[in-house]
Amino acid sequence: MAQDAAPGAIEIEIIKSSLSGIVQEMQNSLFRTGYSTIVRESQDASCAIMDVNAQVIAQHVVLPLHMGAFPACCAAVTKAYGNDIADGDAFLINHPYEGGSPHAPDMAVLTPIFSDGRLIGYCGSIAHKSDIGGPVPGSCSGQARETFNEGLHLPAVRYVRRGHANAEIERIIAANSRTPELVLGDIRGQTGACRLGEQRLGELIGKFGTAMLLRAFDRLLEITAERMKAAIAEWADGRFEAERFIDDDGIELNKPVRIHVVVEKTGDRIVLDFSGSADQTRGPANVRPPLVRAASAYVLVSLVDPLIFVNSGILSVIEIRTREGSILNPRFPAAVNTYNATVHAMVEALFDALSHCVPARARADGCGSRSIIVGGRTTSAGKSYVQYEIVGGGAGGRASRDGASGTTVNQSNAKIAPIEIIESEFPTRIERFELIRDSGGAGKFRGGLGLLREYVNLAEARFSIRSSKHVIPPRGVADGTDGRCGDLTINPDTEAKHLPTRYADYPLKAGDVFRLETPGGGGLGDPFERDPHSVLRDVVDGYVSPEKAAAEYGVAVITTAQDWEVDDEATQRLRSRHGSKE
Amino acid sequence: MPPFRVTVDTGGTFSDFVYFDEAAQQITIAKLPSTPDDPSRAILAGIELLIESGARAQDIAYFCHGTTVGTNALLEGKGVRTALLVTKGFRGIYEVGEQCRPHGSAIFDIFYDRPRLLVPPVLTGEVVERISASGEILHPLDLAALKSTIRELKARGPQSIAVCLLFSFLRPEHEQRVSAMIAQEMPDCAVSLSSEILPQIREYYRLSTTVVNAYLQPILVSYIGNLESRLSNAGISTQQKYVMQSNGGMANFPASAEKAAATVLSGPAGGVTASVRLSAATGLQNLVTFDMGGTSCDVSLVRNGEPAVHHRGTIEGRDISLPMLDINTVSAGGGTIARVDRFGQLSVGPDSAAAVPGPACYGRGGADPTITDCNLVLGYLGEDNFLGGRMKLHRAAALRAIESQVASKLDLSVDAAADGITRVINVKMQEAIKAISTMRGHDVRQFHLLAFGGAGPLHAAAIAAELRMAGVIVPLYPGVHSAMGLLMSDVRHDYIRSRMSALDRVAPDELREGFAGLESQAIRDLRDEGFQHQGISLERSLDLRYAGQGYELTIPCTGTFGPDTTLTLRKSFNEAHRRMFGHAAPDETVEIVSFRICGIGRLPPVEFPRFGNENRSLAGARRETRRAWFGGVMRECPVYQREKLDVGHFFDGPAIIDQLDATTVVPPGCSLRVDEFRNLIIRTGEA
Repeated sequence: MAQDAAPGAIEIEIIKSSLSGIVQEMQNSLFRTGYSTIVRESQDASCAIMDVNAQVIAQHVVLPLHMGAFPACCAAVTKAYGNDIADGDAFLINHPYEGGSPHAPDMAVLTPIFSDGRLIGYCGSIAHKSDIGGPVPGSCSGQARETFNEGLHLPAVRYVRRGHANAEIERIIAANSRTPELVLGDIRGQTGACRLGEQRLGELIGKFGTAMLLRAFDRLLEITAERMKAAIAEWADGRFEAERFIDDDGIELNKPVRIHVVVEKTGDRIVLDFSGSADQTRGPANVRPPLVRAASAYVLVSLVDPLIFVNSGILSVIEIRTREGSILNPRFPAAVNTYNATVHAMVEALFDALSHCVPARARADGCGSRSIIVGGRTTSAGKSYVQYEIVGGGAGGRASRDGASGTTVNQSNAKIAPIEIIESEFPTRIERFELIRDSGGAGKFRGGLGLLREYVNLAEARFSIRSSKHVIPPRGVADGTDGRCGDLTINPDTEAKHLPTRYADYPLKAGDVFRLETPGGGGLGDPFERDPHSVLRDVVDGYVSPEKAAAEYGVAVITTAQDWEVDDEATQRLRSRHGSKE
Repeated sequence: MPPFRVTVDTGGTFSDFVYFDEAAQQITIAKLPSTPDDPSRAILAGIELLIESGARAQDIAYFCHGTTVGTNALLEGKGVRTALLVTKGFRGIYEVGEQCRPHGSAIFDIFYDRPRLLVPPVLTGEVVERISASGEILHPLDLAALKSTIRELKARGPQSIAVCLLFSFLRPEHEQRVSAMIAQEMPDCAVSLSSEILPQIREYYRLSTTVVNAYLQPILVSYIGNLESRLSNAGISTQQKYVMQSNGGMANFPASAEKAAATVLSGPAGGVTASVRLSAATGLQNLVTFDMGGTSCDVSLVRNGEPAVHHRGTIEGRDISLPMLDINTVSAGGGTIARVDRFGQLSVGPDSAAAVPGPACYGRGGADPTITDCNLVLGYLGEDNFLGGRMKLHRAAALRAIESQVASKLDLSVDAAADGITRVINVKMQEAIKAISTMRGHDVRQFHLLAFGGAGPLHAAAIAAELRMAGVIVPLYPGVHSAMGLLMSDVRHDYIRSRMSALDRVAPDELREGFAGLESQAIRDLRDEGFQHQGISLERSLDLRYAGQGYELTIPCTGTFGPDTTLTLRKSFNEAHRRMFGHAAPDETVEIVSFRICGIGRLPPVEFPRFGNENRSLAGARRETRRAWFGGVMRECPVYQREKLDVGHFFDGPAIIDQLDATTVVPPGCSLRVDEFRNLIIRTGEA
C-alpha cells in the first residue's frame, strides 16, 4: 500500500473501527487497573485520542461531559509546555480554569504521541477521584464559595518525564488527599491506559503510515462535521429561546437561578447564545465553558444521530456564546463543584429551544440527578464508610412515547445501590422502594414516574443531599403538565421536616426515618389527546390514579367486578367540557 | 447392534447432527433444514436418517440437544403470562432495575427504552413479610393477606409465578410457604422461587433471573415434554437424554425444564465445549473460538484448557445471574450487508440479509452486497461447491450488487471494493476478539484461532495474521462443531448460597459447613440422574471481595479444610485480584460473599478420532485451480478437497480447501498441515 496516498473510504472505515477499538481498549485497561470504586464501579472515567491541535479524534463515551474537557486540558498542556514535550512524557491537569475539568476531582492524564520524532497528538483519560482534598470528603462541598474550598488544583504539570514519574508531584498529591493510595493508583492506571493507546496507535501507524493516518484524522473530523451540517440544514430556520431555573445555588436558598439560551439557526449554521443566563453564583453551581460545549454537543448528538462517530467535529459546526461573569462562564475563582443541576437545566433549555427545529425529537424535562450521602458511622466490619447513593426518577414524555420511569436522565447514568448490600454493610434499613403514582406529568405522552426510597437510620449519622427540582418541577411541554417535584423528608409521620434541595451534614439519630422522593418527568402534549386506552393501562398498572385520570386526562376509568374499564360516555362528557373551556 | 450417541444442535436455518458409533468409535454427520414451528420434527428426521442407515432406535443410548427455544422465546417476547410476588413496599426492585442505561449510544438516544418488563405491574403482587440482613424475621408472613393476593392474581390468569422476597437467600421459609400457598390455590401454575433458582445476595439480579426462569419454564417444559414423547414414540428409551446448558455442561430433560433460565446459551455452548475438548486432544491449551455463521460471529476464550465463564450476563436485554460461558457476539456473518451512504462513507453491518432473501448470489432476490458475495467475487468461494454443490451461487448477481451499491459509488474496481468490505468486517471481528483477550489482560499471540461455523474458516487466517496469533485450527467438521461438543460434555449443575462473613474470622468447620448443604444437594441431584459415586465430582469455590467493594472474584477452594485454609484463600484472592485488576490490597479485610459448588457427573468420554497416514498423494486431493484475490491481484490458486487430504500433508498458501460444510482460505505467506485429528493447522506469516 502506498504510504502517502490519501485514505479512501475503505481505509477510513478500517481506521475508524480501529480507533474505536483503541479507545475502548484504553477504557477497559483503566477500568481494570483503576484503584477506586468510583472508577471501577461507577465507571466515572473516559478515554480519548486527540490530534496535535487538541481536537478529539475518537472518544469512548461513558460520560458525555468529558467531551469538552479533553480539548481544553490538552490546549493547556500545549500552552504551558509548547516545544518542551518529549516522547514518554505524561501531564496532569484538573484545573477548571487553567484547563477544562468540570471540577477538581476530575483529573486528566495526557500523554503525547510521537511518530518519527514529530508530535502528532495525545492520548488522554479523565477519571473522577475519590478525594482531592478540601473541607469535605469527596471534595464537593455544597458550601464552597470559591475554588479554594474545592480541593487541590493542578494546572498543566509534567508528571512523567521520558518515562520517569516525578515523585515530587506524587507526594504533593498524596499530601492533599484523604485517600492518597486510591488517587495515585488511579493516576497510574490512567497513565497506563494512555501508554496502551500510544502503543496501539503505533501499530496503526505501522500499517498505514503517519501521513495517511493524520489525513484520516482530519477526514474523520470532517465526516462528523458534514453529517452534523447535513442534518442541521434540514431543520427549520429561525430564532428560538428557552429558559430553565435551578432551585438555588446551595448558599442563597429560595433564590432560583436562571439558565437561558437563544438559538439562531440559519442553513447549516447554528449559534447558541447563553448570555442571558444568571450572573455567576456564590455557591458552587457554576459551570465552565468547556462543560457548556460538552452539554451542547450532547444535545446535538441526541438530536442528529446517537450513533454518530463522536469527535470534535461535532463542536466545529456550532458557535457557542457565553457571557463572562455569568453562571456559564464564571470568573476565577468562582466555585464549580456541584455542577450537575446547572448542566441538566442547560440541557433542558437547549432541548426546549431546539424542539422548534426538530419537533420529532421533542421531549419534556426529566428528573435531573441527585445523590445522598450518609456518613459518620462505622460498618458492620468496623470501618468508617460512607453510604453514597445516586438515585434517578422520571424522564420527560417524548414526541411519540411516554417518558421512562425510575431512570437516570440526560448526561447522568449511575447505577442504584442494591438494598441487600446496603443493609448488609450499613446500619440502615430500607422500608420502601417503589415508583410514585401520579408523579409523572400528564400529557398525550406521559412523563415517567419518580421513585421513592424510605430509610430507617439505625445509628447516629450525618446526612447530606445534593439534589435538584425539589422546588421547581420538571416542566411539561406543548400543553403537557409538569412532573411532581422531588422531596426529602425526615420522619415523615411525625415531625415531617423537609430538607432543602442541597443540604450538608444534617444530624440523624438512631431510629430516624428519611424518605427520598424523586421528581417525575414532565408530560408532552395535551393530556386530553391521550388515547383513553393508554390512560386505562396506566390506571391498571397503578401509574395513574382513577381520580387523576378523570381530572387531568378527562378519562373516566371505572372498576368492574375484577377489572378496570373506560366509561366511554362519561369520558366524552369530560373531554367535551375541556373543549368548550378553550 | 452397538450403542449410538446422537446429538443435534438446532440452529435458525439448519439442524446439525452428529452420530457416534461407540463400538466402531466412528463419527458421521448430517445437516438438515430446521423446522422452527416445531424443532422436534427436524430432530426426528435426523434420527430417521440414522435408522435408515441400519441402526435401531433402541440402540440409541445417548441423546444431547442444543436448543434455542429459550433464547428465541426471550428474543421474541413469547414466554408465558408470568406473575411476580415481592416483599411489600418493594415493587421498585423490578420496575426500576439498575436505573441506568447501557454505555454508548443509549445515553444520547432520546427514544431509548429498557426492554419491556416480562411481568406487567398488574401481575405483580406484594407479600407482607420481611427478613433482615441477619436473617431474622422482622415481619412475619401474613398468610391471610397472601391468600387474597394470590386469589387476585389468579383471576388474571398467569401460567407461571416468580417469587422473590428480600433476603430469601438467607432464610427461604417465607418463599417456601408462598410456594405452598400457590400450589394450594393454583395447582396448575408453575412457580419459580428465587431462593431455589439463585440464593444469592443482590435482589435485582436474583429477581430478574427468577422472572426469566418463570417466564421460560412452561415453554421448556412443554418443548421438552413433546420432544420426550416423540423420541419415545420413535422407540428411543434411554434415560440419557440431555440438553446443553449455558454453563457448558449438560442437564437431563427434567432438570433442564425446571431451570429454564440456564438454557439461554444452549445453542452456542456446544461449540465452546467441543473447543475445550479439542484443546485437550491437540495439546493447544490457549484458543480463541471463532464461530462465524450467516448473521453473527461468536467468539470466546479457552485458556489453559478451561473456558472463560461469567457469573452474570445480559441475554436479549435480560439480566441473568447464572454461570454461563463468556461468549462475545458481533453482527458479522456471511449475510452482513455493505452500504455506501450519501457522504461517501462505507459501512459494513450491522444489517444482515439473513437467510431470506439472503446474499445477492443466492439468486433469491437479494440485491444488497453481502460478505458472502464478496467471498464469491474474490474467488474464495466457488460457484459450484457451496453446501457440497447443493446450492449454486450466482457470481453475476454478486458482481452486480457490489458494483452498483459500493464499487461505482467509491470509484473502485469490483475486486477492490469486495476486498475492502472484507477487510472492514475482519477488523470488526478482530476487535471482538481483542475485547475478550487483550482487553482482559491476555496476550493473544499465545492463542490459536479455532475457526468453525459456515464462514469462520474463510476469514480465520487473515484475522489471525492481523492479530499475530499463533495460528489457526480448522476442525474436521467445522460446520457441525457445536453438535460435536454435545457429544463430549459432562453433566454440570451449579449451586450457590450467599453468606457474608469476614474470611479471617471463619473457622475451618464453618467453611466446611458452608459448603455441606450445597454438596449434599449436588450429590442428591446427580444420583437422581443416575450417576454413581465414582462418576460424581464436586468443585468448591468462594466468591470473595475486599470489604465494601461492589464486585466479587470466584476463587476455587480445593483440598481439605485446615487452619491454613483461609490464609491460602486470601493469598489466591490477592493474586487473582492482581491478575485481573493490576493491584491487590493485602491489608484489606477480605469477605466471603457466596459459597459455590459445581456438581459434575462424568460420562464415558468420547474422544476426537485419530487417523493414521493413508499414503494419499497431495496431488490427488487437488480438485481445481481457481482465480482468487491475494496481495491485491487476482491469481491462480490451487483448490483442494478437504475429504481427500491426508494426515501429514503440508503445503504453503495460497490455497483454498473446499469441504461439504465450509471453505478454508490459506493466504500467501501461510502454511498448512493436516494433523492426526485431520484438523487443518495453519501457521500464519507476517501480516
